[in-house]
Amino acid sequence: MATHTPHFPDLLFSGAARLRRWEGLLMALLADAGYQELRSSLVMREPHEKASLRFFDGDHLLALRWDYTTALARMLAKRFAEPPPRVSYAGAVFRRANQPWEPVERFEVGCERIHTDKAIRDEADVELARLLMAVPATLGLRAAILQIGSAALLRRPMEQEQLPKALADAVTRALLRRAPHRVKEALGGHPASPRLFAHVEALLSESDGIGGLQALDRSPYAGLLEDEREHLRKTLEALSPFVPEGLRLRLDLADVQGLDFYTGPTLRLYAPGAQQELAAGGRYDGLYPELGKPWFAAGFCVRLSPLLDLAETRPDLFDSIGAEVQ
Amino acid sequence: MTHPAGPFNHEAILVAFPKGRLGDELLSRLAGTSLALDEAALNSRVLRIPTARPDVQVLLLKGADLPRYVAAGVASLGIVGSDTLDEMDVDLLELADLKFGSCRLSLCGAKGLTIEALKQKPHLRLATKFLKATADWLKREGLTAELVPLQSSVELAPILGLADAIVDLVQTGETLKAHGLSEIKVLGTTSARLVAARVAYLADPERLRPLISEIIGLLSKE
Repeated sequence: MATHTPHFPDLLFSGAARLRRWEGLLMALLADAGYQELRSSLVMREPHEKASLRFFDGDHLLALRWDYTTALARMLAKRFAEPPPRVSYAGAVFRRANQPWEPVERFEVGCERIHTDKAIRDEADVELARLLMAVPATLGLRAAILQIGSAALLRRPMEQEQLPKALADAVTRALLRRAPHRVKEALGGHPASPRLFAHVEALLSESDGIGGLQALDRSPYAGLLEDEREHLRKTLEALSPFVPEGLRLRLDLADVQGLDFYTGPTLRLYAPGAQQELAAGGRYDGLYPELGKPWFAAGFCVRLSPLLDLAETRPDLFDSIGAEVQ
Repeated sequence: MTHPAGPFNHEAILVAFPKGRLGDELLSRLAGTSLALDEAALNSRVLRIPTARPDVQVLLLKGADLPRYVAAGVASLGIVGSDTLDEMDVDLLELADLKFGSCRLSLCGAKGLTIEALKQKPHLRLATKFLKATADWLKREGLTAELVPLQSSVELAPILGLADAIVDLVQTGETLKAHGLSEIKVLGTTSARLVAARVAYLADPERLRPLISEIIGLLSKE
């Protein structure tokens, strides 16, 4: 017997109104910062992503759009000789859920900052982080935490040690769980084990703010990571004067989510009292070269589905939930 | 979609404890500490059991259900066996190996049975509750087998002919001995782990970290 599941959510009056209003507010925020909207087709012709929802159209296997960044990158790489520097998007993506409470159809608003000059990388990362800092207030969220990390902090030491992919994946999985004992277990008798374990312990130290970067002094890879550390320091310094009321900026050296995609700084937005990540992004300089374009890129995506869920279950976390749908 | 964690957030920190053998050992270790459970509530049908700390309450859950409650953020923290975690694909943080409740996950069979003899079987049948760990071990060894999923009294399977051998947790070995079985190979070891809901931990670190340090301090003592 068919069972109704929340994986394909129907939005009733207030939910539908809130989604439309939030999409509008966020797209206006991005438009004011110079981001132009692109809308890729809901259907993707490269149905290889495991998490995608696939279907046959005659003899052709297609997939529903599973990721906006990927969909836009393919479109931009195909159609543009030079990238448009700032693009935004709003709409649904369809991705198989990892956890039973996650929807398959997810509403998102996001933006991408694409450039050909590596020298403006720092500036672009700060621009994106400042935009993301404005998102909670735009949605009326009273308190939020923006965490900044860097995928390079684990990626580069593992590359230097030439860890086989299976071992690198096992270390990443263990650090994703913030389980130092699992990292030790995964590394076993590998010659780099003492160095990498010391590094992981440094990443997992709980110091916060710009001072938290000092934890990297204890890492055997401190020299290797000097550029990343400097980049993070500059980013945090540039952002600190602009932190809005209600938002806390934190450093998270052990953020390794999406390590196979992100190449540099990462951004994650949480709210005290919310049980799901509300936005995520970062630098992914490997994506466009894979598509034949020597472009650099970073971006973030605001996850409207968990935010809509939060508005229903915890209206007290927002300023204006009651008033907005009157 | 309604998320299950919603209503609990403003209140005391909820910590999930396992029922059963691991839970018994945990409660005896916590007796007389700030996290000892309220005896009267423990013997009643109270859902959220108070501790000596007014800001911490405990949910007693079946081990196999516990990771889902934590991953969904209903409980911010939990204590669960690594064997349970390894069988489930749930997104949570595993903050510490608490180094108690240790067991061996072992391949066991009738006394005298060897691993070489099992490898020779054209159609090996292994009964177990630990399907993922067993499948991982078979893969590492380059073996194939029919896995017979069982939830309890796994040691009966080889005696009654349901399987050639079993993969199960062994603590003292007394149960195996009583059924005429013995350990053929230790596949791994398990112990209690402190787990946390990812977003609760990352979004509200000041609230949880002192409690995390306290739990590790209390439970890591020999």
